[in-house]
Amino acid sequence: MDWVRILISRCAGFFGKGKLDEDLDEELRTHIDFAVEENVRRGMSEQEARTNALREFGGMTQTREQYRIQRGLPILETMLQDIRFGFRQLSKSRGVAATSILTLAFGIGATTSIFSVVKAVLLAPLPYKDPGRIVAVWTTNPARGGEPLPSTPGDFAIWKQRSGVFETLALSYDDEMTLTGKGEPQLLIGYAVSANYLRILGVAPQIGRLYTDQEDKPGGPKVVLLSNHLWRTTFQSDPEIVGKAITLDGSSYTVLGVMPRGFDYPTSVEIWVPAAIAPAAFDDFSHTYVRILGRLRPGISIAEAQKTLNAVEAETAIAHPTTDSGNRVVLVPLREQLNGDIRKPLLILMGAVLLVLLIACANTAGLALVRNTQRQKEIAVRLALGATRQRLLRQFVTESLLLAANGGAAGIALTMAGTRFLLGLFPNDVANLNIPKVTQIPINDGVLLFALAITLLTGFLFGIVPVLNAVRINADATINESERGSTASRHSSFSRSVMVVGEIALALMLLTGAGLLVASFRKVVNSNLGFQPDHVLSLQLFLPPDRYPRSDQTKRIRFVEGVVNRLSALPGVKSAAATNFLPLTGFWGTTTFLLPGEAPPKDGQTPEADNRVITPGYLRTMGIPLIRGRDFSAADRTNALHVAMINQTLAREFFPNKDPVGEKLNLGSAEQPDWWRIVGIVGDVKAFGQDQPTHTDIYRPFAQQPYSLVAFTLRTETEPASMVKSSKEALWSVDPNLPVFRAVPMDLLAKQTLAIPRASSALISAFAGLALLLACIGIYGVMSYAVAQRTREIGVRMALGARRGDVLIMMMVEGARLTLLGITIGLAGALASARLLASLLFEVTAINPLIFSLAAALLIAIAMAAAWLPARNAASIDPMQALRAE
Amino acid sequence: MAESKSDVLQGTLDLMVLKTLESMGPLHGYGIARRIEQVSDATLSLNQGTIYPALLRLQQRGYIKAEWGTSENNRRAKYYSLSRLGKKQIGAETENWERIAATMSRFLAVSR
Repeated sequence: MDWVRILISRCAGFFGKGKLDEDLDEELRTHIDFAVEENVRRGMSEQEARTNALREFGGMTQTREQYRIQRGLPILETMLQDIRFGFRQLSKSRGVAATSILTLAFGIGATTSIFSVVKAVLLAPLPYKDPGRIVAVWTTNPARGGEPLPSTPGDFAIWKQRSGVFETLALSYDDEMTLTGKGEPQLLIGYAVSANYLRILGVAPQIGRLYTDQEDKPGGPKVVLLSNHLWRTTFQSDPEIVGKAITLDGSSYTVLGVMPRGFDYPTSVEIWVPAAIAPAAFDDFSHTYVRILGRLRPGISIAEAQKTLNAVEAETAIAHPTTDSGNRVVLVPLREQLNGDIRKPLLILMGAVLLVLLIACANTAGLALVRNTQRQKEIAVRLALGATRQRLLRQFVTESLLLAANGGAAGIALTMAGTRFLLGLFPNDVANLNIPKVTQIPINDGVLLFALAITLLTGFLFGIVPVLNAVRINADATINESERGSTASRHSSFSRSVMVVGEIALALMLLTGAGLLVASFRKVVNSNLGFQPDHVLSLQLFLPPDRYPRSDQTKRIRFVEGVVNRLSALPGVKSAAATNFLPLTGFWGTTTFLLPGEAPPKDGQTPEADNRVITPGYLRTMGIPLIRGRDFSAADRTNALHVAMINQTLAREFFPNKDPVGEKLNLGSAEQPDWWRIVGIVGDVKAFGQDQPTHTDIYRPFAQQPYSLVAFTLRTETEPASMVKSSKEALWSVDPNLPVFRAVPMDLLAKQTLAIPRASSALISAFAGLALLLACIGIYGVMSYAVAQRTREIGVRMALGARRGDVLIMMMVEGARLTLLGITIGLAGALASARLLASLLFEVTAINPLIFSLAAALLIAIAMAAAWLPARNAASIDPMQALRAE
Repeated sequence: MAESKSDVLQGTLDLMVLKTLESMGPLHGYGIARRIEQVSDATLSLNQGTIYPALLRLQQRGYIKAEWGTSENNRRAKYYSLSRLGKKQIGAETENWERIAATMSRFLAVSR
């Protein structure tokens, strides 16, 4: 325990310095007095006695110094000394210090901000048991666009029995239900999930219990689990809720439990009910509606599982060729499933911001180099006076860390201001974006730790180069060099060049990336949605099956037509209509179709189109153009000829050489055909967002194909949001018990769809701008320094007959050389990284000569402008003064 | 300094101080320095000043205590005395030193 006692006493020594110094002085004085007294007693004179005493004592100052080293904490003391000295040094060159700190603040602030989002979104711990082994299982098929889609119950049963890679495999399907008897009727996003589905996630309810396998049977008890959100809002956190009955779609359900806060899988679900799949359903290979979640056996990787599963599916396809041919099974890890569309843009932004940080480092290093070279004489003198290189190194590192710490602190302040802006990345009410719900981005320990780490790292990165450079100085040479004053030392000018070249290269990479994303975003924004989203209000709702059963089509038709009439009559409404799947909401469904005389293809690739049902005024209300033929009319009723319209994409793909109007489509099967006559062609609608591919669409009249999902649309004369109340009242005047799921202007939906591309292109542009500014400062600083350094040389040249123009050209050529080298390296880097961006781009090729050359040109122009000022200064040097200087 | 005198070996000074305090009782810095000079019979090159860092080191280890007192001729002086820990330490240090000395002399005898 010795060292503890020593440390304590040393700390006491460190802090109680003044008092202890007095003590020591008194003790030493007494010592000398004793010695003098004794010497006098021995017969020396007073003078002699004192001299003798001091000689016997040895060095008074050395003793004190030694004593102090022994007493205090010498490392800490020199550190404080270094810090004080560092502050003095920095305040001496205030401009450079401020620039460095600001540069670092932007670099560290931007990086930390993006990291805080990455941490909140990509790195947040999942509240599920062993989430690494949980996967979502999807089916893709080229005939259905190759997107991951739900599977059939038949496939599910076979995979579960035969694959052997899952510990548990569970199914679910979405099941919206209407809650009544509890205030306003509400449409709840519901999920019917098998009992083991919730066990896979490993989440226990906060009150009550989950349902058992016995309860999850057809004809089993009607039970329901509530989300925390629903429980808190609609049920006012009723602690006695378990066991109570609630009314869903007109039936009574018993509440079994309330799921915990933060349990949000699948996202936005409010109620979970038993899937209760009938055993007969497991022979169904044609309806793709089950969403599968599985827990892999320990030790089985996702790749292995996917391989095994696809082998099983290949066998299934042999047994069920019409439905399963071409199917591929895709396993998606839970985290990826949750992060969805935001992962890639976030990682790219993180990469971009790290480039900015690197530029900030290079910039600060460049500035430090400049500053240190100005101090070469000081360093040389200190070396000559016996300062060790180690001591100098420590001094310089302290100064770097001082700068970094200031920059880091300012950076954290910037982060705190910046995260609120970043929340804009997560529009929480966009249904068609597969992104996690993020309501806040906390600046927590992890984020602060990250900021601290990158601060230290940057301090080290930009600190180490100039330090090594500075300490390499040879005392004699430097003192002499500045006497003779010719060109700058080769070493330091080389490191400065590296900094400039690096900065330009990195800035170019960012600039091209930003250029690509911005060009892509402009394309997306300017691309036609296929309808006019302005001045259109939409009201989405769901006809509950208890009151609007599939069997009673007339009731559905009467309701929808009644509401459309009421809405059309509202003052300020130009026209009103209804459809099933409103564009940009993420709701959609498909139907297979056959052309006359064609049998279903043997390989199962029966063509599919989006199944759209509309009322007669829909095209006019939405502003969708009718290309050929006629629109639906009130005459297209149940018992009239079944008619359909197709979109341009379907017309182009399936009727390449003939006019589709007048042709027939079979929307049934080969055995039981269901014929619909094509009466018109409508313009393509980008129902999934401007940057998504257009599907093939088949439109049918609502009166001939009533649907339970209904979205009313109304074109208004004024601001559509102001019509929400009156249109809801119009709807409730027809049926007061129907909840409106969502009432939202279409242009708002259109805008939110673009939230991620907008935010990422804005952010990366900001980063590129920052990079440009930093590179500009860096080049300017280094060039001005080079000029200052070569003042005498330039003076000599001019005295020997060089003209101002020659000097200007000489300096500009040096700038241009560095710039071009940087551009070359940067272009190589940009080419390499463009591939990463490719999947984020819309109608813009990643290797884009125009954008690349524009970015390079812009950077060259700015770099040359930054070099121009110092070069002009160099050219205006007065040779006489330059030679007289120093 | 004088070439005929030997420098004080690192660490030996501490033991000398402890031994001095053991035999003399509480003593001030000058007294300790003088006593060491007398005992070593002036064969040791000792700057009296070096005693002070040694005294501090021993205090930090807890082997000795210091307190201000008054000398026989009425002067205020800092008096050092052995702590309980210091008394124990003398035994250990002595043993240690004797072992080194014995090893050294055996070694010298062999090489001679």
